[in-house]
Amino acid sequence: MTDEQHVDDEGNLGDVAPGFMDAADHSIREGIQGYLMGFVLAALLTVASFLMLHTNLIWSPGIAVALVVLAIAQIGVHLVFFLHLTTAPDNTNNVLALAFGILIVVLIIGGSIWIMNHLDERMMPMDQMTQTDR
Amino acid sequence: MSAEPARACVPWAAADMLGKLTWNAIPFDQPIPLAAGSLVFLVLIAVIAWVIIRGHLPYLWHEWITSVDHKRIGVMYTILGLVMLLRGFVDAIMMRSQQAFAFHAGGYLPPEHYDQVFSAHGTIMIFFAAMPLMIGLMNFAVPLQLGVRDVAFPTFNSTSFWLTATGALLVNLSLVVGEFSRAMWLPYPPLSELRYSPGVGVDYYLWALQISGVGTLLTGINFVTTILKIRAPGMSYLRMPIFCWTALATNLLIIAAFPVLTATLGMLLLDRYVGFHFFTNSAGGNMMMFVNLIWAWGHPEVYILVLPAFGIFSEVISTFSGKPLFGYRSMVAATMFICLVSFLVWLHHFFTMGAGGNVNAVFGIATAIIAVGTGVKIYNWMFTMYGGRIRFTTPMLWALAFVLTFTLGGMTGVLLSVPPADFQLHNSMFLVAHFHNVIIAGVLFGAFAGITYWFPKAFGFRLHEGWGKAAVVLTVAGFYTTFVPLYALGLLGMTRRLQSYDVAAWRPWVIAAGAGIIVFCGALACQVMQLVASIRQRESLRDLTGDPWNGRSLEWSTASPPPAFNYAVLPNVEGEEPYWQIKRRAIETQQLAAEPDYKPIEMPRNSPTGFITAFFCTVTGFALIWHIWWMVGLGLLGAYVVFVWFAWRDRDEEVIPAEEVARVDRARRRVRAQWLAHNAREEWLAVHGQRETA
Repeated sequence: MTDEQHVDDEGNLGDVAPGFMDAADHSIREGIQGYLMGFVLAALLTVASFLMLHTNLIWSPGIAVALVVLAIAQIGVHLVFFLHLTTAPDNTNNVLALAFGILIVVLIIGGSIWIMNHLDERMMPMDQMTQTDR
Repeated sequence: MSAEPARACVPWAAADMLGKLTWNAIPFDQPIPLAAGSLVFLVLIAVIAWVIIRGHLPYLWHEWITSVDHKRIGVMYTILGLVMLLRGFVDAIMMRSQQAFAFHAGGYLPPEHYDQVFSAHGTIMIFFAAMPLMIGLMNFAVPLQLGVRDVAFPTFNSTSFWLTATGALLVNLSLVVGEFSRAMWLPYPPLSELRYSPGVGVDYYLWALQISGVGTLLTGINFVTTILKIRAPGMSYLRMPIFCWTALATNLLIIAAFPVLTATLGMLLLDRYVGFHFFTNSAGGNMMMFVNLIWAWGHPEVYILVLPAFGIFSEVISTFSGKPLFGYRSMVAATMFICLVSFLVWLHHFFTMGAGGNVNAVFGIATAIIAVGTGVKIYNWMFTMYGGRIRFTTPMLWALAFVLTFTLGGMTGVLLSVPPADFQLHNSMFLVAHFHNVIIAGVLFGAFAGITYWFPKAFGFRLHEGWGKAAVVLTVAGFYTTFVPLYALGLLGMTRRLQSYDVAAWRPWVIAAGAGIIVFCGALACQVMQLVASIRQRESLRDLTGDPWNGRSLEWSTASPPPAFNYAVLPNVEGEEPYWQIKRRAIETQQLAAEPDYKPIEMPRNSPTGFITAFFCTVTGFALIWHIWWMVGLGLLGAYVVFVWFAWRDRDEEVIPAEEVARVDRARRRVRAQWLAHNAREEWLAVHGQRETA
């Protein structure tokens, strides 16, 4: 029943996430190292997104895109270092859940944007409407 | 908060302490709700008094209220669903009779009361009747079918139930204290905004749904975890009974969709309480966003309700046809297909909102396509029955009534999925007839089929067949007499939610629909009689073996009612129909499997956490509705303290000693051995003889 089997018959450590505390032969020290690495990366990404706004490092119309890229990287860091998402077989459910979640979010947000922007499709252009109505 | 209207001035000083709550909240001037509310209140007091006087309170507290046993919680969910079904049915009687009287007249319900009745009917039927019935049956059957002892988070489960009960309580409280929403079962702004609904009705609706919504979300998490992580040894995904698959799909939908509902209603709450402008007509708000978001939850919700029912029908049809389910893998595929595509069709609820042809076409086609998944299922059920030895028991009759009636409702649904047709039928009685056709025939028939099917497992005796069959016949008759006229009325141009009307051509159809509700009353009487007759004749209806229907999945291998630990030893699953295999092996070798080595079993301890949390949530909800801010703080603090207290408890499991396990299981084995000695040979010959000649 248990999905916590990271060690195979020869005692080799399987594919575990950085900082995975429960894994066998994994000292607390290594665990803390993993969390620290995650913290540093997350902090760096946060600082980078603030820096970008206040300096001229990035061409200003590109700032929005850069923020999106940094945000996605931030999500990745959190998933790997703090939520311990890996590609190991014991993590299939988590990866599938993440994929399902992303799919639903994309469908609902994308669909909503499309629908809400389409609502003026059948409207008369504003200038004509004022002419006919009054 | 400037939009808040001036409330009646209250002469006594304590008024500020109670926010908006004054004696004006009690509807002394409206006899109908007051009388109904008082009656319910008296019945409630009488029941509580009876429980206390007869000394049943300790039993109720220890065995039910604080129970974390999935079977008990499932039964309580189902009872809640049935009681609320009755409450919603009373609303239905009021609406049908009002319309029957309201030709060129006012009827007996004034418009503001009629608006509350139809809003309450929809809200109660979906959230507090259909949802608890489906979640209750999943609670009862899924862990048993998976061959395990309980769900992944038992105390969570109890909390989910009591939070749902909190929502139901708040909705019903609105009958006597204040008013209920008049803004329909989905409170579309701007009508539901403070400016147009200044009373507490919409707040009752919103807080009841927010609180019970948390419970539903917890259920979703609980069941997905249970199904993905806790199964009997050998129970791979493709060996799970189909009901577990539909439960998995339903709970995935709950996890994905209910946060959307919570967020949408949360935005409406921000509009109403702190002056935000998400959905207002001014200051940049857009009420159409509410319609868009609420249906992004609303359409998956339809499948959250109907998928478990599909699972129940699959189990019932397979069992009573004496055959494995036809096309098991296609059934799984169709279920997961529906699970995904249900997120691609939500616009069909508002084709007329004004999106252009491209958007409407895409969502219309997606809607027509999702019917393919259901179509696959219908054919699978028919092929399961084909060539089987069908036993026409009550659950099977519900399933047959479902296949016929639901297909009709599905066809009108495909018709409505064509945008030009929808433009004609939108908001008409045709639509009302359509969704009642699918929800009654799908969810309600499914719930009744599931209840009659698993009742002997839950209580140890079968339900009375005669009254059950009468209930099926009258329900189907009542359904057609009520809703076929509504289809006709829709085609004649009658819109929904009319308090009175003056079109002569509608009259006969409205009266026919009113007559249908009388037939439904007969069906209800049969259901009550079925329960009464079954309890009185329980000795002759007793299920001794634990397998009253010659079942195929694991829940029938344990005793009826099952012991708290479900299985003395976790079953080892070797195929798609594990119990059928065990049974066949026992019949062929003429003996039971060797007695296992009994070991002590650890079971989760009962906990009042759920009940007390829900109590404080009720206080918080009530206080939020009436703007009693100190009480809000008190309720939230109480709920948090309960959580901390629960987190700090040091004993969370109880050990059932091996001797006790052995005693319970040996009693079961003794009955099985007797059954094997007396009946198995004949049954084996009957089944196999039939097969060879066929």
